[in-house]
Amino acid sequence: MNSIRVWAGILALGVATTGAAVGRAQDQLPAPSPIEKELAARATHVTEVTLDRKMLAFASKFMDDKDDNGKEDKDDQAVKQMIQNLQGVYVRDYEFDKDHSYTAEELEGLRKYFENSSWSPMVKERTKGHAEGTDIYVKLVDNKMQGLFVLDAEPKELSLVLILGPVDIDALGKLGGNFGIPKDAMKKAQKEATK
Amino acid sequence: MMQTSPVPATPSKPGWLTILGAPLGLAAIMTPAVLLAAGGGAGGGFDAIVHGIESRYHAHATRIPFLGLMSGIAGIATHGGVHNLHLATFENFNTGDKPVDGDELLGLVEQRAGGNWSRMIRETSRGGDEQTLIYIRPEAKQIGMLIVDLDHHELDVVELSVNPDQLMKEAREHSHHHHDTDADSDHDRNDSDSN
Repeated sequence: MNSIRVWAGILALGVATTGAAVGRAQDQLPAPSPIEKELAARATHVTEVTLDRKMLAFASKFMDDKDDNGKEDKDDQAVKQMIQNLQGVYVRDYEFDKDHSYTAEELEGLRKYFENSSWSPMVKERTKGHAEGTDIYVKLVDNKMQGLFVLDAEPKELSLVLILGPVDIDALGKLGGNFGIPKDAMKKAQKEATK
Repeated sequence: MMQTSPVPATPSKPGWLTILGAPLGLAAIMTPAVLLAAGGGAGGGFDAIVHGIESRYHAHATRIPFLGLMSGIAGIATHGGVHNLHLATFENFNTGDKPVDGDELLGLVEQRAGGNWSRMIRETSRGGDEQTLIYIRPEAKQIGMLIVDLDHHELDVVELSVNPDQLMKEAREHSHHHHDTDADSDHDRNDSDSN
């Protein structure tokens, strides 16, 4: 009887540990996809920004949440607060010297690499006859946005933005321009999310 | 009157402190020498990176005279916003016919940087003539920043400590002062126009 209890205890501990590890893995920033290495080799200019939770907390200190008169700016404070609560930010930007230096298959591979069952597509914008377009996925937990993934493919530029953690829609637009996050992509995501 | 007679000197047995003392003393003398020979100490960082670049690329860093003084002045001028400034610059950085391999430079910097540094930004160009690596690490109330920047034939390595709160305060005050000066000069201009 005792040995059954011991085994049940070990099993419960194992399940709990595995669950915690899976949960943690989903909150962690992903390792670069093999496709990214290929894109980087083709790109003329590559920008990589990787910020985990600890780094975001420090980086947010460089965000000014006061106006010129030293008074607190509520909008900027909301952005700063959101950044401090994020789990991670992952940005990759590839610039090419020729149009469409990436294929539709590569874009599909990137989408598949980043999405999983907890991510839902919010925007799917395509240009007929070309691989370029914009994809926005959101991670919803209890109807709250807990992550955002943007894949923006322009003729000579490809941008990936992955934000993990609670996302404040109102502050989202202001996040653009910080930490290498493209302004237009964030404004687009904010516009679509508020529809 | 009492007289003390000298105690004849007798050879004493070596105590445990004496036995341990010799190797400990030797270790204390040898450790810094061994660590320096290994390339900049256990903590790695600025010196280790500069030495690594010098030996890998057969280049010689130009030391900036009075940099310690300048660092002190920067600390005073920014009221502690920026201090511990270290700078090494490689002028005419030339790797021969081959462009700088970004992955190799990254590996060298990360190997030599030592613990606690987290990479925040990496920018690379295909030709290898533009490489930027920015690392941060927490330092009590400050943030340590380590920057390695290659721009064609100039490579700079910078390490500094930043107090974000103080720096933002200084920036705000400067901006406020700048606005005031602009407003004053506009006012003076308007006065002279009316005269």
